Amino acid sequence: MKTQGSRLPRWLRSEHPFPWLFPVTSLLIVFGLYPVLYSLWLSFYKRNPATRKETFLPSHNWSKLISDDRVWDAVQVTFSYACIALILQLVLGMLIALLLDSDKKGFGILRALMTLPLVVPPAVTGMMFLLMYDSSFGVISNALYSLNLLSPDAPILGTGSTALWGVIIADVWQWTPFMVLIMLAGLRALPKEPFEAASIDGATAVQSFFHLTLPMMSKIIALAVLIRGIDLFRVYDYVKVMTDSGPGTATETLTAYAGTVYFKSANFAYASTVALATLILVLVTATLFIKIFKVRF
Amino acid sequence: MSFKRFQKQNYIIDSANAFSSGKMSKRDFLRNMGVAGVGISAYSAGLLGKPRPFFGNVAHAQENNTPEDVANFLREAGKPFAGTTIRYTSEATPPTNILNELKSEFTELTGINVEIEIVPLEQVLAKATQDVQGQLGTYDIYYLDQAWTSTFSPDTIDPVEYYASKPDLAMPGFDFDDFSKPLVEGICEYDGKWVGLPFDIPIFTLMYRKDLLEKHGIAVPETYADFSTAVELISKEEAENNIYGTGLQAKSGHYSLECDWSQAVWGHGGSIFGADKNFSGNDAQAVEGLEWYMNLLKNSPAASVTSTWDGQWQMGASGQIAMAQSWAEFFPGWNADDSEVKGLWEMARPLQGPATLRSTDDVGFGEIPNWGHQGGSSIALSRYSKNIDAAWLFLQWACSKDIMTRCTLAGGFAPMRNSSYTDPRIVERKNLEGSGTTRHLDTVKWTIDNVMASEPDLPIWAGVANNEIPTELGKLLTGQEYGGSAKKCMDQVAKLVDAVVDEAELG
Repeated sequence: MKTQGSRLPRWLRSEHPFPWLFPVTSLLIVFGLYPVLYSLWLSFYKRNPATRKETFLPSHNWSKLISDDRVWDAVQVTFSYACIALILQLVLGMLIALLLDSDKKGFGILRALMTLPLVVPPAVTGMMFLLMYDSSFGVISNALYSLNLLSPDAPILGTGSTALWGVIIADVWQWTPFMVLIMLAGLRALPKEPFEAASIDGATAVQSFFHLTLPMMSKIIALAVLIRGIDLFRVYDYVKVMTDSGPGTATETLTAYAGTVYFKSANFAYASTVALATLILVLVTATLFIKIFKVRF
Repeated sequence: MSFKRFQKQNYIIDSANAFSSGKMSKRDFLRNMGVAGVGISAYSAGLLGKPRPFFGNVAHAQENNTPEDVANFLREAGKPFAGTTIRYTSEATPPTNILNELKSEFTELTGINVEIEIVPLEQVLAKATQDVQGQLGTYDIYYLDQAWTSTFSPDTIDPVEYYASKPDLAMPGFDFDDFSKPLVEGICEYDGKWVGLPFDIPIFTLMYRKDLLEKHGIAVPETYADFSTAVELISKEEAENNIYGTGLQAKSGHYSLECDWSQAVWGHGGSIFGADKNFSGNDAQAVEGLEWYMNLLKNSPAASVTSTWDGQWQMGASGQIAMAQSWAEFFPGWNADDSEVKGLWEMARPLQGPATLRSTDDVGFGEIPNWGHQGGSSIALSRYSKNIDAAWLFLQWACSKDIMTRCTLAGGFAPMRNSSYTDPRIVERKNLEGSGTTRHLDTVKWTIDNVMASEPDLPIWAGVANNEIPTELGKLLTGQEYGGSAKKCMDQVAKLVDAVVDEAELG
């Protein structure tokens, strides 16, 4: 008697992994590997924008990258942006998760509501904050003016010292719920016994948090930091929509600079070099993080 | 909070309520928000990359149809191409917006479909560059800013030559000589070749609120010195009403800032490049121009440093500023029926002197220092198009006398063709106070014909004008670097620009 499985084509019955990996591998090659290799190839050419002549000169764009002050400024802005946003999202995410970690009535709805900012496209979030920061009618600006914390003569996004914070706040508003959800999942999976034992031994809630919750959550926290950190390193939407890297280069991250070189100067070869440098930076930072914090997947 | 600001916030709230209760259309809501200085800039920032403000009325262009002789020609000539689709990528300029509304007329006559892809200016540049680099023919027609003319010269077909070489596709009465000669020279001619056809001509003139100038007994400024004196006085006297002497399009890293800066440089006897092809924006005259501009900024709304042309337009329409030396195409919108200051704006010739202009013999790369900065554009036939003849028919129709006149009727901006200025439909609107007025066009034509300035013609100019110059200027104007020293900033710009010119082997 023939089984259902035997009616399937032979390759579908294969126990070899290749047929099953083929679809996703193809997609990765086409949409992941090929663009990277193409960018690498582009980065080895010097393009004269006037004559459009391309010369194979592998060191040209890379040495230009090293001596380009804007790249180093962008590295600094990228690290500042990623670190500040990550710390804020992590701390707020943990605090909110602790508040929402309850089985009382209504908390389920609150947890569901936390996902709402995540479904808003980042460009729309950027525009929302752009309106709220507007110096003549924006609710945030007007509140800060009323409290004498800011002067109407210095618009939030038009002033070097505040523009980066303005963009970071939009990012924090949108992505803190992501941290909350991960932390909540972790908190709710923790065993109850150690906490009960600590309580019997007279530990306070703060002591339990620092000596039990945090150590037990460390792997989840590390994973969340890794995922968000990689995302933050390649931030583009908020910067493009809200400040377009300005004022000056106060909010110019590496990806924003790559976009500027690509779109404004139409120098595809150098833009590819900046983009690849960003990729290398992310890979190195992420690998170091994984090694240092012993993240396991 | 000033009463004016209170009124403005109420206006915003009322409009939002009317929109949410269904009493106002989305279009009217966005329009009202634009007048109040809300929304359009924000929406456009993300969606259209700061399009130029357009508050015209397309219905004015739709009152007529394509003239019968042109229609008959298109019906016959278009037959072999029926069903073809041609593609054209453009910035959201006012004439492009109107053309997008009128294109169905062309399709009905020829059967040729037209896709107009409207994207931010910088994306137009990137898309066109990619297209020509790979000779892809993705786009049949390119929108070319005047700053890109030389860049794309090798990639386009000379329309004058093509017209002569294809008599069966030559639109009757097209008349190349009817195009304004200064516009042809300034926008679409390079090295003796017509790269495209002139399509749009925003140009700097002086615009002022006659009520405010009369109130303070100020004569209409004629020179740069007059202007700054008047700006300072009005900003001081009208501080309580939250009205400033002027408003600027000084957004860091944006081309609009470069436009303001270059006019300030020319107006003080400077230039962007010297005859030796080195950047000269750091010489004494140019630095004086920049310092004059920095002084204006002190007397402008704080939002000037985050505004491009749409932000400046909103400052004028919401009654926040008294004067502006800026794009003449703002004028119809500032006088439109829904403007808070309808009928109060007047136009005068651009500021002149007291410095004398630098001669064209003393500048490089075909730059023309003068009093009226032009930011025109052309539309051009791609050499790599797979539907050249169908696209050529569309190009002729779009730039025909009738369509160009109708675009002006809808938007009130300056026409490209001399015949449009004397067209009865344009002339009869000169007496209008509100929407659709053409009473400013005589001043615009005078500016085009006599004092039109043009930026340098060099293939890397698009990048320099959109990146190096406005980014460093932004650092200076917002205090990020240079400690307020215009000279230090421009020395750095000189270093950057000269390096780009050298790299392109143009020096």
